[in-house]
Amino acid sequence: MDVGLAKQITDYVIENKEMHYRLAFSYVKNTEDALEVVQESIYKAFSTMSTLKTPDYLKTWFYRIIVNTAIDLMRKKKKVIVVDDETLAQYNLSTVDHYADIDLQKTLENLPVRYRSVVILRFFEDLKFEEIAEILDENVNTVKTRLYKSLKMLRIQMNEEKEGLC
Amino acid sequence: MDSKLEKLKNEYRNIPIPKELDFVVNKALQESGVKNMNKKSNFKKMKIAAASVAAAFVVMTAGVNASPVFAGTLSKVPVVGSLVKVLTFREYNIDEGTYNSNIKVPEIQGLENKALENSLNEKYLKEGKKLYESFEADMEELKKKDGGHLGVDSGYEIKTDNDQILSIGRYTVNTVGSSSTKIKYDTIDKKNEVLITLPSLFKDESYVDIISENIKNQMVEQYKADSDNFYWVAGIEQDGGIELFNKISEEQNFYINQEGKLVISFDKYEVAPGYMGVVEFAIPTDILSDILVSNEYVK
Repeated sequence: MDVGLAKQITDYVIENKEMHYRLAFSYVKNTEDALEVVQESIYKAFSTMSTLKTPDYLKTWFYRIIVNTAIDLMRKKKKVIVVDDETLAQYNLSTVDHYADIDLQKTLENLPVRYRSVVILRFFEDLKFEEIAEILDENVNTVKTRLYKSLKMLRIQMNEEKEGLC
Repeated sequence: MDSKLEKLKNEYRNIPIPKELDFVVNKALQESGVKNMNKKSNFKKMKIAAASVAAAFVVMTAGVNASPVFAGTLSKVPVVGSLVKVLTFREYNIDEGTYNSNIKVPEIQGLENKALENSLNEKYLKEGKKLYESFEADMEELKKKDGGHLGVDSGYEIKTDNDQILSIGRYTVNTVGSSSTKIKYDTIDKKNEVLITLPSLFKDESYVDIISENIKNQMVEQYKADSDNFYWVAGIEQDGGIELFNKISEEQNFYINQEGKLVISFDKYEVAPGYMGVVEFAIPTDILSDILVSNEYVK
């Protein structure tokens, strides 16, 4: 074990535990599962320390572990289905109305997880596109496109709300 | 930023932090082997904990023969052969609001080979006691902060009990918000009164690779049948840079089941995400037949 690096990870994990918990919670939506994600992410971090090339990437590296761990857990509990963009487009058009009377929080939660991730990371965690791309293992353009689509899906409801449709 | 989005962001920022978070993080760090890097030493805390616990809690340690509570339990205890028995020798319990521990220490009786019997029983008692002490220490630590939930449940189960084999598994479930589970097995040859180790079953060390390959195949097969069966193994698409299962250790946890099959066991988190819990794999005997010392145990 690289002791210096392990020390850095330890400090980082302790300092940022609340952020990590919130990130995990935003996926799994309950305390018990969010704690499990935090716990498991720490185990994974130390067992895969060697994949962290430089401490500069510590944050994105750890976020990536949390996001993946959370999705793993949801895969089991909620049966997350990964949808390709075309399917999603149809899905989106035809189902928008069903969400119109639910609040924005619900709408966000109902976004497919790939779309929800970019919203959380960009707007709630204030990360750069490059960092998000690193965390989600996608290229920057994909992240931008996805964020644009996510907002569109969210905005549709916002507009409708403004216009008093719900 | 859009005001609605701003509102969502605020909601996100206000996700309440549970009291257990500190503890879960520290525990995970400890279990990852970096506990010594924390600046604070636990030594002092332990001492204080020991003193106050002694005063505040009733520790129930009940001898098997002394307590009528065990009368019912006793009749259900599997009688191993005619003489060899497994009993609950001692129980450590704490039940105080959000803190709960239940630790049952098994004892094997009736082996002619007293050295074996004593060494196993001593091991069980020592581990039970250690578990209880660390629970006490954890509990005190948690109390000094804001409190929280903490539980440990430890006991044993008889996996196999026939003329030849006694396999006893001792499990420990730690609950701190989420939980971790560990199981350790001991397998005894009752006829010859010896403890069976994994290496002792085989002619040479090739079993490590043969069994590992089989397990990897089983993992992938299980995943193909149902993608909920997720393992950290090559052949299943992984999301992150997780360390993949490569091979079992020479002393991997195992038992021999009623059908005489070798079963390899992994603790929670060892080879799969937490939701998979403790996982085990029965190894087909035909792939082992060339390297087994004999078919006396594994059939």
